Amino acid sequence: MIIRMAWRNIWRNKMRSVAIALSVAIGLFAGISVLALYKGMMKSRVRTVIDSETGHLQIHHPEFKKDYDPAYLLSDPQKWIGDIRSFNTIKAAAVRTVTQAMLSTPTGSTGVQVNGIIPEAENEVSLLKSKIHWGDGFTGRKKNEVLVGKKLADKMKLKPGSKLVLTCTDTASDLVSAAFRVTGIYQTENSPLDERNVYVNRNDLNEMLNMDNSFHEIVVLLNNDEDLALAKQQLQERFPSFLVESWKEISPETELMVNTMDYYMYIIIGIIMLALAFGIINTMLMAILERTREIGMMVALGMSRFRLFLLVLLETVLLTITGTPPGLIAAWLAANYYNKKGIDISSFAGDTMSSFGFSSMIYPEFPGAELFIVLMIVITTALVSCIFPAIRAGRLQPVEALRK
Amino acid sequence: MQTVIDAHNVSKVYNADTIPVYAVNNVHLHLQKGEFTALVGPSGSGKTTLLNLIGGLDKPDSGHIIINGVDITTLSANELINFRLKNIGFVFQSFNLIPVLTAKENAEFILQLQKVHKQEREKRIEVLFKEIGLSDKLNERPSKLSGGQQQRVAVARALASRPQFVLADEPTANLDSGSASNLLDIMAQLNKEEGITFLFSTHDQRVIDRARRVITLVDGQIARDTAAVPVTHETIVSNEKP
Repeated sequence: MIIRMAWRNIWRNKMRSVAIALSVAIGLFAGISVLALYKGMMKSRVRTVIDSETGHLQIHHPEFKKDYDPAYLLSDPQKWIGDIRSFNTIKAAAVRTVTQAMLSTPTGSTGVQVNGIIPEAENEVSLLKSKIHWGDGFTGRKKNEVLVGKKLADKMKLKPGSKLVLTCTDTASDLVSAAFRVTGIYQTENSPLDERNVYVNRNDLNEMLNMDNSFHEIVVLLNNDEDLALAKQQLQERFPSFLVESWKEISPETELMVNTMDYYMYIIIGIIMLALAFGIINTMLMAILERTREIGMMVALGMSRFRLFLLVLLETVLLTITGTPPGLIAAWLAANYYNKKGIDISSFAGDTMSSFGFSSMIYPEFPGAELFIVLMIVITTALVSCIFPAIRAGRLQPVEALRK
Repeated sequence: MQTVIDAHNVSKVYNADTIPVYAVNNVHLHLQKGEFTALVGPSGSGKTTLLNLIGGLDKPDSGHIIINGVDITTLSANELINFRLKNIGFVFQSFNLIPVLTAKENAEFILQLQKVHKQEREKRIEVLFKEIGLSDKLNERPSKLSGGQQQRVAVARALASRPQFVLADEPTANLDSGSASNLLDIMAQLNKEEGITFLFSTHDQRVIDRARRVITLVDGQIARDTAAVPVTHETIVSNEKP
């Protein structure tokens, strides 16, 4: 009977109930959309880190990353790659020679990280070829070809065909330098990365550093993101004296961002729900004020304050639940639509996004895993919102209420 | 005879800290089971206040009200709600049906609060609605019923829980004479055949004429309590004169 009364009561004032149900729907839609947007952004950021920057895992000499001293070498790349690829969790692996260098042109100089790569192998782990937007990339026709990032090219006024000089120390700590010709300009979704990294052929860099067939870094790409911990453990057990790191350790700021973004999302949803709560409180207080006499009569007849509390609570929950499906469905439709189509924010936030390593194309992702938490937040909002009106109703004295 | 209501030295004072106004002043009242009593008096004489005190809707400032051996002035608010639910039926002046429930659901409301079994509820409602002549209006909402029909549903609701007595505050005040007469017939019949105790507060001469006992309140005190002396509209009006 109480459920029936509660349901009928909320439709006594249709306009008001529809308005508050719509508020719930819009609030839920907004909350889930924000969640979907952030989730899409974070997923894209993690993908950028894995696919363009670090791979899933990297292996180094344990001392190498302290000062990037080229003397800390790994040797016999074929054996390493063969061993690593024997694990079924691993999709691809590539070796790199890495050194810090000074890049000089007639207009100026800047510090860069020089990555000596095998272009075909590199393309498997970082899709570098697909990011070359200007020039031919590594042609293999000449020695000392270099790929520079768009941001660095703009800064140093480089274009395909430009010459530059890279100066660094070799494995014997002697200063060495060589001239390179720009054969391609690449652009990723992370402009600071583009400004900092240049790619050369590993043979050219090894020759410059006097390294023979050695290298400094192995980049590993997995079949599934979920296998990260397992693959790391497998590699660490296989190569116990080397440093095996996951992308989370190599790029801790991304891991931190993903984790803190979850909290931000819930804070934003909390703020939306807080606004919604005041709407619900206002509606329920009005509903109770309008029914003072009726409530007084029910208490006079013997309705306990607990049942009265239950009635107000049910009315609030039903009102909230009424608005929930439309909000959920609208959010699901919008998230799925834009997940395929994408939202291009380059016109107003393109540079800002890429300077933080984010793509300006966002593909929102419906937060299925977080849906339960969101629904719990909505229900909790409804329950908390009804407390004050329910207490007000419970405090009504029948003899006074009946006089109204 | 069994005493149903036993009020001793009952007083209710408003503005006790400034200029005290005695709504009910030192009232003694005893009602036996099966009585059909009218509480009359001019406006402001304390009829409704006394009814509220007896019904446990309000608490007296002094005195005791004992109903079926229970001193309701000592009960807590929650105990009073429970006591009202089990012992007292109410009929209010302006019907006070729950607008979102049908006539049947309104009458069933108290039975559900009392946790009466569904079959028993159905049985009682069927009998009561036959008695009040509204068997064909069971599923109508109050807004579809006339004032007289609504008040008959209110009587059915008051009686459904089988209370010790029924308190009716000006039950005919908003009814036309036909509806009022019909309602009084029903209540008189229930009183006669089932021994249900009724206490009315009223200005209505038709109710006074039907009452077997009439208690006249003036300035919160019982000025007359008799079934023998005929009470007329003139008597009440004369009491209103200074």
